[in-house]
Amino acid sequence: MNTANFLGIPASIFPEQEILVFEDVRLTYGAALARVRRLAAALAALGVGRGDPVAALDTNSHRYVETYYATATLGAVFVPLNYRAKIPELRHMLATARVRVVVVGARYRSALASLLPELPDVRHVVAFDTAPNGGSTIEDLIAGADAERQETEIDESDTTILMYTSGTTALPKGVLLTHHDFTTYVCGTVELADGTPRGTALVCVPLYHIAGATAVMTTLFAGRTLVLMRQFDAATWLRLVERERVTHAFLVPTMVKQLLDAPELGTRDLSSLQSLAYGGAAMPLSVVRRAIETFPPTVGFVNAFGQTETTSTLTILGPEDHRLTGSEAEVEAKLRRLTSIGRPLPDVELKVVDDSGTELPPGAVGEIVVRTPRVMKGYAGDAGASGVDDDGWLHTRDMGWIDDAGYAFLAGRKDDMIIRGGENIAPAEIEATLQLHPAVDEAAVVGLADVEWGQRVAAAVALRPGAHATAEELIEFCRTRLASFKKPDVVRFFSCLPKNPLGKILRRDIRAALTADTRGDR
Amino acid sequence: MPTQLGKRYVCEACQTEVLCNKPGQGGLSCCDQEMKLKEAKPLPSSD
Repeated sequence: MNTANFLGIPASIFPEQEILVFEDVRLTYGAALARVRRLAAALAALGVGRGDPVAALDTNSHRYVETYYATATLGAVFVPLNYRAKIPELRHMLATARVRVVVVGARYRSALASLLPELPDVRHVVAFDTAPNGGSTIEDLIAGADAERQETEIDESDTTILMYTSGTTALPKGVLLTHHDFTTYVCGTVELADGTPRGTALVCVPLYHIAGATAVMTTLFAGRTLVLMRQFDAATWLRLVERERVTHAFLVPTMVKQLLDAPELGTRDLSSLQSLAYGGAAMPLSVVRRAIETFPPTVGFVNAFGQTETTSTLTILGPEDHRLTGSEAEVEAKLRRLTSIGRPLPDVELKVVDDSGTELPPGAVGEIVVRTPRVMKGYAGDAGASGVDDDGWLHTRDMGWIDDAGYAFLAGRKDDMIIRGGENIAPAEIEATLQLHPAVDEAAVVGLADVEWGQRVAAAVALRPGAHATAEELIEFCRTRLASFKKPDVVRFFSCLPKNPLGKILRRDIRAALTADTRGDR
Repeated sequence: MPTQLGKRYVCEACQTEVLCNKPGQGGLSCCDQEMKLKEAKPLPSSD
């Protein structure tokens, strides 16, 4: 179905229910739907029709969500842009998407203006908030619309969102996600609103990220009140959980760490929280352990692993796996499992294969491949092949293994694997071992070019505040716990590891720093 | 069997799935057989 129905159906059943909260704005289903349909009519009057790309460049807001649903109502293609992108990346995204209309926040207007002369496809620029020189705002369009527009008939294979990947390894790739992809995800994840209490979700991740987009859709469809944050900050997040009695939230690991370090943490009532999901980047064991010990015991933690290319979540490590109870041996086993990404969702098949595509037995490291009905249609433009083989398996380029109980573990990106003297070494295994050391806060392991071994193992480590450890001590710690060839040859200390805004470690930067730093070592 | 608001019904023959947005006393059928109520999700979700 048209994803606009994720709002339209529950709104037609429960028009009086409050559903969307953003700062001082509180909207019922009925009010939100009326605004969306008027905005759709106004966008249609600007010439937007089925298949036309409409971009959004701003931080989160109710108007951002409304712009998505208005775009979907018309069968047009929504292009949410990373507001932290640099100018060349923005140019690349706007040009490859062939955007017709851009809706922009005041903070990003000058960046967009500098690019417009190079973007002949852009016909209209609309402001999310204020517009200079008589330009149109979203509120102008809603107020000036002559009618409410009903959902356009679409084909389920039509693209509804063109979402760019984070681009940590290359220029961002445009992922074509269809109405079918999101319908499969939303209907497979939550039940439609039925008038029973469904709680309140706090969405603080950017809406240009797949986790933000799917959280909005599932929340509105399920009749759960959606509380939006413009951008994450720990103090506001804690205040909103208390004020709005938030039951569900999604965080990236960096945010969890900031919450644990926030002085306000102990002063806020978090007893309403039922589900705290995290994902988007690897979660350091020390952080999730602290979170389990710090948040109320009623909170169910969920580790979600997915990709933009698979319309979000593929595997989940559920609340039971986060409860560190039982005998010492059971707790030890659960701690190990906390570094797992869990098991596949019901609509996902997952296996680990070698380079020839042969399935590997439990414990063996290979590439993770997945099959699910919600794999993207492909990449936009000439960004390359989709990575889906003839049998429908998407090659994720994530390396990993599966244990005897079916839990999957990540072993790093395929391109990050270290080959030392012919031995394949997964950085994640060494990182997980380093994180077991009580002084270690975070660790990232990379391969450095080496004349003798081809590559040698180098670890970048950030210690906990006030903790001390020497490089020799950490190397010895690994040597006693890992096959000898896996122990780091080099350990260098960082005050904190370089990361992108979602908390993904920037290995390129670490590799460059370590290469420069260790040049005189050998 | 009366239909229930917000529930999904699936045809076991052709796998058609329908979503009820207004309940009533009537039942649903497809491929000459009654459509079955689809079970709720068994797993916690990330959303």
